[in-house]
Amino acid sequence: MRQTMRHVMLDSHRREISLVAAILAIAAVMAIAAPGFFTWGNERDLVMANLPVLIVALGMTLVILTGQIDISVGSQFAICSVAAGVFARLGMPTPAACLAACLAGAAMGALNGALIAYARVPSIVVTLATMVALRDGLRWVTEGAWVADLPRTFQWFGRSQAASEGIAMAVAALLAAGIGWGLRHLAAGRAVYATGSSARAARLAGIRPAHVIFAVLALTGALTGCAAGLNAVRFNQVPANAGLGLEMQTIAAVIVGGTAVTGGRGGIVGTLLGVALLGIIGPALTYLGISAYWERALQGGIILAAVAMDAVRVHAREHGSLAAERS
Amino acid sequence: MAALPPSDRRPWRDRWSPNGEWVLLFALVLETAVFSAFGRNFFTLGNFFEVVRLSVELGLLALALTPVMITGGIDLSVGSMMALAAVVFGAAWRDAGLPAGAAIALALLAGCAGGALNALLITGLGIPPIIVTLGSFSMFRGIAEGITRGAANYSNFPKALVMLGQGYWWGVLPVQLPILAAAIAAYAVLLHRSAIGRTLYAVGFSPAGARYAGIRVARRVALVYFLSGLAASVAAIVYVAHLGQAKSDAGTGYELAAITAVVLGGTSVSGGRGTVWGTLLGLFSITILQNGLRLAALPSELTGVLTGAVLVLAIVLGRLRSSPRARTSEATTPMKNSQLAILCAVIVAAALLVAGTNIWLVRSLRPPGAAASPAGSTGGRRPVIAMMPKAKGDPYFTSCRTGAEEAARETNVDLIWDGPTGLDPARQNEVVESWITRRVDAIAVSVENQAGISTVLRKARERGIRVLTWDADAAPDARDYFINQATPEGIGFTLTDEAARLLGGRGEFAIVTGALSAANQNQWIAFIRRRLAAQYPHLKLLDIRPSDDDRDKAFAETQTILKVHPNARLIMGIAAPAVPGAAEAVRQSGRKDVYVIGLSLPNLCKRYVHDGVVQSVVLWNTRDLGYLTVYTAARLTGNAIPAGATSFAAGRLGTIEVRGDQVILGKPFIFNRANIDQFDF
Repeated sequence: MRQTMRHVMLDSHRREISLVAAILAIAAVMAIAAPGFFTWGNERDLVMANLPVLIVALGMTLVILTGQIDISVGSQFAICSVAAGVFARLGMPTPAACLAACLAGAAMGALNGALIAYARVPSIVVTLATMVALRDGLRWVTEGAWVADLPRTFQWFGRSQAASEGIAMAVAALLAAGIGWGLRHLAAGRAVYATGSSARAARLAGIRPAHVIFAVLALTGALTGCAAGLNAVRFNQVPANAGLGLEMQTIAAVIVGGTAVTGGRGGIVGTLLGVALLGIIGPALTYLGISAYWERALQGGIILAAVAMDAVRVHAREHGSLAAERS
Repeated sequence: MAALPPSDRRPWRDRWSPNGEWVLLFALVLETAVFSAFGRNFFTLGNFFEVVRLSVELGLLALALTPVMITGGIDLSVGSMMALAAVVFGAAWRDAGLPAGAAIALALLAGCAGGALNALLITGLGIPPIIVTLGSFSMFRGIAEGITRGAANYSNFPKALVMLGQGYWWGVLPVQLPILAAAIAAYAVLLHRSAIGRTLYAVGFSPAGARYAGIRVARRVALVYFLSGLAASVAAIVYVAHLGQAKSDAGTGYELAAITAVVLGGTSVSGGRGTVWGTLLGLFSITILQNGLRLAALPSELTGVLTGAVLVLAIVLGRLRSSPRARTSEATTPMKNSQLAILCAVIVAAALLVAGTNIWLVRSLRPPGAAASPAGSTGGRRPVIAMMPKAKGDPYFTSCRTGAEEAARETNVDLIWDGPTGLDPARQNEVVESWITRRVDAIAVSVENQAGISTVLRKARERGIRVLTWDADAAPDARDYFINQATPEGIGFTLTDEAARLLGGRGEFAIVTGALSAANQNQWIAFIRRRLAAQYPHLKLLDIRPSDDDRDKAFAETQTILKVHPNARLIMGIAAPAVPGAAEAVRQSGRKDVYVIGLSLPNLCKRYVHDGVVQSVVLWNTRDLGYLTVYTAARLTGNAIPAGATSFAAGRLGTIEVRGDQVILGKPFIFNRANIDQFDF
């Protein structure tokens, strides 16, 4: 009995375990080949560079847990960045401008959510449409012009760089901890899992799946806006093409983190590990002196290898247990 | 029972089009009617075949994706597969010296291998298709970039091959049409007239049910992914022949366009539903939209906005129509229709409000003079000059546009400003094709792919259109004049000299480029290397990192460079967003001993130049470049520049030198702290 319990524990965390193993393996290679990788400055830069992906991935985890997907986050990110810049330039204090970016994100997320949950259009269709429409709409309006001449208080909220980076990291940590805890212990969090596992069963249990899906997409929009705001204040100008490819990065991180694309299985810890793994591969390859031309091929290969290894193990175990049943 | 499989008891309307393609057909007719009214030469046989020609590559991918999505899967790797097959073909033909036929066979083989890899991982190991193809999406293009080191561009293919993509049967019928027709027929038979096709629907409808019915699910699924790889490689060959070049950026973004076409055509993303006819309708409603917008001289960004709108509308309407039966069986929400309508309306209104205020805010920030754009109207007998940047929405080209509009007002011509909105290298050809159909008076192109665009520019000249190139040149016989603002040689040498001057001829530096496959940047890098080898033996180029024209990526890459190569004393950014990105990274690192120089817009770098982070920015006056291009084009259409002229008067720029077939704007200009404030672009 105890053994089966342990099996279950291992089973439900197997992706996390293989991710930790992969990260440790990379860390070991780096420790031998390029010890300079482990400096405080480098870790801080890595965290800051991956903060937007991390925050958006929190929302994306929820979306994928409910069995949906949102590929419009990159375009939302661009619009929210520009919105934060424009509001700041109009004289709004920087924190308020970031908040406005959050609201803009929430509005776009709510549009996605309403179409998916209440008009019942498949999420990939809705977000494919909003991805293209929002990105092209922004390009049309701004014509690619950057938002420049921001007030001096925009960058780093007008504080020191260290303080502001601390704020950003604290916000991200709070969001991750809050969402991770909420998913496990709040009724709303359990409703997300229930909706993703079986919408029908969830309804019979008194949950309204449509409301859950709507809320999750709107929340993802708000998180995207928050990420855009926190990212924008690292600089003193806002480009109009921010967030290119962000959707692929976040979805890859969430899926590599073990959240099932069919919904209902996965969690925040896996996503954090997924973001960490994908975030260190690129810089690690640079540290090892591998030419940028081969980097993309290696990244794709590593992702495929990681998931394939996982799948092979599951296969082996299932076949093993089948054999055991038969005997 | 959810959605019944099509059976003969249903009304004829549903039998003919089980997926609500009526909506789409209506949209298609509406599009055609609108563009026939507003577009120049839209409703002509010639244009019809042009649209078909432009649809072949995308069509092949969309056809291949239809069965994939019917089985409930997805293949995100088709665009990258195109790049890999194109590069394999190019390498086999040029580097290995194989005959074109054998190279094609090898490319198709590569496609089969890629498809087989996807199939193996999906069916053999049971990994969800989206994960597998997300991985191979990176890997295939990555391998293509690795083989070519981003830069190699295979071109000058044999005539017979180029004919395949650019020629006509009997003067009107595009040569690649039979390929598309054959693919359509093959997929239609496979899906709608064969036992295998029926099993694919069964698999998509319920994989477990299909297995209990005795269908070998894994084999069927493997087949569709294998075919998808094959179709992608066929598309790659057509693409290579169409563009006349093979490069690792082939087919960028095609996977999403193809998926859009399939979904628009009513194929269910959850599997079990979809038809070849629907996919074709979806495909043509997108390509006709693109073509029509260009012929009507409307901004091409509208394509994205309208495609998105049509996509959602078609599906919502289709759903309303297919209504009560399907609705009750599907998940019902405990919400009344009226509530739903109100909620949707409120949210749409909120979204519009956000979008509207954004538009208003951004417009309010722009200087008043720049807001008016004379593009669009084509009435009267004013000459029409069509001008194309490499990419729309790039601040560099936006500043060129300002000057172009100024010249258009002065010389009393109509200016059409349009170009690609993404990284797809085939897009420029498509825009020029539509301008030829539209019969503009002059075309001015900033060339992204020399080998690719020259053939279509020659075609324009044959039709009596004056052709200019600006910013980057095409083959000399493909245009009348090149507006030369700076040669790649001049840029490469100036940047290297500037680096050498700052470092005192000795030291190590790194380059942050745009995309790894960007043609211009790779040319500059080649000249930088040449100059280093010839003149500066003690200057060492440590590394070249990509920024993908993303400021934030340039920032992160520079941070890594600074740590990996602590000896690097200078960062050279050679794309407009790369310089501010690198400068911010250097500033935040607190290093005072690292110089930043590069090629960028003064406005993006002003603050860093004043703060002493960026030492110098190399560029020319972009506004003057746009001005001179339109001015020359206007003079050419009025035949005011005789052949063999050595100079002409170009409005506010005064007398401009003409050297052979090049109009010389001047030398690259070095902006530094002393002079940067005099420029605003």
